[in-house]
Amino acid sequence: MAVAHATPRGYLERPRPSGLADVIDVILDKGLVVDAYVRVSLIGIEILTIDARIVVASVDTYLRFAEAVGRLDIAQDDQAAGLPDLMESISSGGAESKTKGALEGAKEKLFGDDDDDSDDDDEKESGSRRRSSSRSGSSRSRSGSSSSRGSNGRSSRSRKES
Amino acid sequence: MPPAGSLVYVYGILPAEEAANASETGVDGRAVRTITHDGLAALVSEVHGDALSAAREVRAHWRVLEKASEHATVLPVRFGTVMESDDHVRRELLEHDADHLGGLLRELAGRVQLSLKGDYDEDALLREVVARSPSIATLREQVRDKPGAAGYYDRIQLGEMVAAEVARRHEQDERSALAHLQPLAVRARAEQPSSHAQAFNLAFLVERDGVDDFGRAVAALGDQVAELIRIRYVGPLPPYSFTDVELSAGSAAWV
Repeated sequence: MAVAHATPRGYLERPRPSGLADVIDVILDKGLVVDAYVRVSLIGIEILTIDARIVVASVDTYLRFAEAVGRLDIAQDDQAAGLPDLMESISSGGAESKTKGALEGAKEKLFGDDDDDSDDDDEKESGSRRRSSSRSGSSRSRSGSSSSRGSNGRSSRSRKES
Repeated sequence: MPPAGSLVYVYGILPAEEAANASETGVDGRAVRTITHDGLAALVSEVHGDALSAAREVRAHWRVLEKASEHATVLPVRFGTVMESDDHVRRELLEHDADHLGGLLRELAGRVQLSLKGDYDEDALLREVVARSPSIATLREQVRDKPGAAGYYDRIQLGEMVAAEVARRHEQDERSALAHLQPLAVRARAEQPSSHAQAFNLAFLVERDGVDDFGRAVAALGDQVAELIRIRYVGPLPPYSFTDVELSAGSAAWV
């Protein structure tokens, strides 16, 4: 993914048209919140939101990783020593994530190509779990607000991990 | 009317007269349509909740809003908002919150969101922290000479001092970026940076015809901080960060 850098002079004058990777955090965390009492809590959607948050948490780590690799000067031992640490923290974070399989698929589709027709693999992978758990709740109830609170907690935790 | 058993996924709210004929495909692969009431329109599609995929649905949600906001002021609704029926959308959202929604639409008309994320060059940041603090530099030398366990507590102390210094830097860099750009924006919001390597995460609400001026200010800021911070400047976006409002149904919707 191309990232607009501050140099050379003037490069930033035009904002980059948004890619999903740039805005996924605002899509998930911002925007009008319809009251829980008039909203339907759709379990399938709640799970999606959690999955997507995990992807968001990884994006900044990936960007940092890409940059660290780009900067890497093999001759300088100091910098090279920092990399295994970074690597370790990323892989341990990944191992803790229960939804790693879904994450891989989601990551590809979120930040990969734009072709919707190739969704099938991704769907198979994450969809099987979805199908069993989706559409359990179509009642308007407090459960909507409590489960969204749950996913918020999850997101701040994954943020700390990254 | 949608068939029985289906629910309604809500993308956003816009003035009814700006609601173009939406032919987009939305979440769950369904066609996007509008529900209108008294000058307000909601962008919606059916949803059944089977076989949803995080990647596909988030992307669909985003596309529908991107498309709609090309020629309209759109209040984006939080991802994953589902209501029971068209009638619920009409009564409990468009009618019930008409004043609130109308007010927001008037306030945001002709304005766009521009986002600015600053990422530290971590090596440069740490070098600067060491260069600016004699006590950190001294302790760093001491820790270097102590092998393994002997320097354990010194290392913790050193790390703590660096963390405090980095936090101070964050605050300072965020404040100066805001001071630089806020005069060109209608409103500004500073979000919590997503990691210690992020210098700032800012959202600005800018008049559509002020985007060029704002961009020049961003470029100037970018040059100013180039040694330490790389800026990602993205937009224009629907005003996600400025519609971060909870609509309260109140008691009326319940009885």
